[in-house]
Amino acid sequence: MRTRAQRAATVLAVAAALTGVAACGGDDDGAAGGGAAAATDFEAKLTDKPVELSFIWFEWPPAHALEELGKEYSKIRPNVTVKVNTVPIANWHDAIFTQFAAKKTNFDMPILDSQYIGEAVENGNIVDLTDFAKKHVDASAYDPYFLAAYGQYPQTKTGEPTPDSRTYGLPLMGDTWSMIVRKDLIEEVPQTWDEMIAAAKKCQEENPGMSGLAFHQANATDAAAVTYNTVNGVYGGELWDPEKKQIEGIINNEAGQKAMDVLVNQMKPLTPKGSGNWFIDEVNAAINQGKVCIGFQWIGAMAGLLDPKSSKLGKSEKEILEKLEFSTLPKQDSDFVPLGGMGMHISKYAPEADQAEALNFMKWFQQPEVQTRWAELGGVPGRKDVLASEAFLDAAPFNKVFTDSIGRLRDFWNLPEYTKLVNIQTQNVNAALNGTEDPKAALDKIAAEQQAILDESK
Amino acid sequence: MADTASASQLTPPPAARRFRLLSDRRLAGLFISPALLLLLFLSIFPLFWALYLSFTDYSATRDVPSRWIWFENYGDLLTSPQVHERAITTLIFVVGAISLQTLLGFTIAYLISRRVRGRGLLTTLFLVPMMLSPVVVGLFWKFMLDAQFGVINSFATSLGLGSAEWLTDERLALLSVIVVDTWQWTPFIMLIALAGLTAVPKYLYEASEIDRASEWFRFRHITLPIVWPLLLIAVLFRAIEAFRLFDLVYILTGGGPGAATETLSFHVYKTAFLGFDTGRASAYGVLMVIVVIVLAQFYLRYLNRLQER
Repeated sequence: MRTRAQRAATVLAVAAALTGVAACGGDDDGAAGGGAAAATDFEAKLTDKPVELSFIWFEWPPAHALEELGKEYSKIRPNVTVKVNTVPIANWHDAIFTQFAAKKTNFDMPILDSQYIGEAVENGNIVDLTDFAKKHVDASAYDPYFLAAYGQYPQTKTGEPTPDSRTYGLPLMGDTWSMIVRKDLIEEVPQTWDEMIAAAKKCQEENPGMSGLAFHQANATDAAAVTYNTVNGVYGGELWDPEKKQIEGIINNEAGQKAMDVLVNQMKPLTPKGSGNWFIDEVNAAINQGKVCIGFQWIGAMAGLLDPKSSKLGKSEKEILEKLEFSTLPKQDSDFVPLGGMGMHISKYAPEADQAEALNFMKWFQQPEVQTRWAELGGVPGRKDVLASEAFLDAAPFNKVFTDSIGRLRDFWNLPEYTKLVNIQTQNVNAALNGTEDPKAALDKIAAEQQAILDESK
Repeated sequence: MADTASASQLTPPPAARRFRLLSDRRLAGLFISPALLLLLFLSIFPLFWALYLSFTDYSATRDVPSRWIWFENYGDLLTSPQVHERAITTLIFVVGAISLQTLLGFTIAYLISRRVRGRGLLTTLFLVPMMLSPVVVGLFWKFMLDAQFGVINSFATSLGLGSAEWLTDERLALLSVIVVDTWQWTPFIMLIALAGLTAVPKYLYEASEIDRASEWFRFRHITLPIVWPLLLIAVLFRAIEAFRLFDLVYILTGGGPGAATETLSFHVYKTAFLGFDTGRASAYGVLMVIVVIVLAQFYLRYLNRLQER
């Protein structure tokens, strides 16, 4: 008869064996398709069998526009169906990177935020497109910063490509913040940040029931972090020194503190009560409900502002546009605007045929007529000629804001530690905005905690 | 004789006679083996695996081999001010939510147990919140508690009470999470308490009535001592659930404002999925399991002593 100890030992042995099996399994890189080599000879690997080319993005209007554009692609490749799977924005990073962690993805083309590239590249999750880009992408057709921000790693500075950088993605959707002004209530569009605050304050005082400002403050993804970065940029601050990997003493220098003070003590009092957890949808809703004088929003998320069904500002788009003015962000000590948008990439774990199809889609997407169609559907293309074309500028009343902002774009760290860094920033800026933490203390905490993350990674 | 013969006809032959290899013991083992295998793969193996990972710097996404770092993760976590803050937030939540739920749950059960007509319907209605998904509950409470567009502020304003920042005010946010959790889980305590209350023998009340005992005396010396052990079991289950609260925080506040409502479980999630510090997150999870086991042991010993009296 077996003793209890023997039985326990058997269970432990089985568990240990399973652990060993799993550990061995963990070493398998699981790459389904190919890496850089596969990116050069993809045309030979295209198949005539049915293929579902699947993207993953977060739920917003451009995701549906991309699926619509995919139907155009199916016209030249009838065996291919383009599917854009969406997740809530708060789950976007996790939905992609948990699958990367499993080394098996149910998508072929992840749409990555520009800052996610470092994490994906360092972990070997996305296909190296350097040789493909050299052969099939006309780099001169793009602003160098687009190619750098949406696809290269290590990220280069604006217009200064470095030989070390390799390409892992191509621009899909350009984006930045636009200022949305109630032109029926504010006579002149403010040109400086200080003027903007003054105009918002005046409008709030003159219109009882309305608030002066609406912007992203939520403790989610990069919401509050981008808001601080924007004000930091406008007041001449810097987020870090990329050469020395130094944050402490830079983000919380005099300009940084001024920016935090403006944000918390001058801008926050002009926002609606309880807006401390607002992000994209809530800002749009406040503008649509006629509750705010000036709002700040990503261009890619602004299509909803023109929908008479969800707006109280007018019964038609024309009536709404009589009240709303879309403008580039005001300048102050500097003129930076935040870089939004995303690049398209290829999962290293996608089947070889899907990877080949993805590369073919990328090649097709570079054509000016395709990018024009993308703009008509609501996307913001990357090509300079399309961005300057009437077709793009006329496609939406806020498109010109993006074209006018190109020279002012600034991104933040695309390091592998990005999610940790942005979480620290979002949480502490949100704390300062909601009065949980003193603004200066919050900024110093951001600097110290972010520096610790960078030091750990050195 | 006839009876004996028919009895022997009715008795089934032993299993061993039908299938020699299939003894009763083996048959029993065969029946429980699917459940055991499931338990092994879904609970025991992940537990051992997490325990192993907790001693490494393993990251689920980083493409580098992990290092064995002994108790470094445990040391970092136990000395981290952030973890201490989250532990206090979790403690406040657990104590606040469970106290409120116990008080309300028992009161409702007591009132229902005294009401004869419509008791079944009332009980069913009270149980509805418990049957909803926490994510759904979180979403509709988020809309209701919204400071600008929410129905609660709208109602309060129409009554002249003014509006409050339920989810973004540091003092109110945790209270809002407690209230929402209480709304959903009070019925659980109520249900257990109701089972206890209906189990109190009626003759005890009848005897006390003959002795002209007061209502309070009857409650204090008859009802409560009988229901108390059952109620404590309900509290134990709820406390363990509350200790690992994640979904409501994720949906309602995202841990904010700042980190004012960030519980331990939410912090584990951030450690595990923002930057994928899998080893550290595993150590965090193991520590939480240890805390729950230790507290549950103290609690169960108290419960056993209570039942032995």
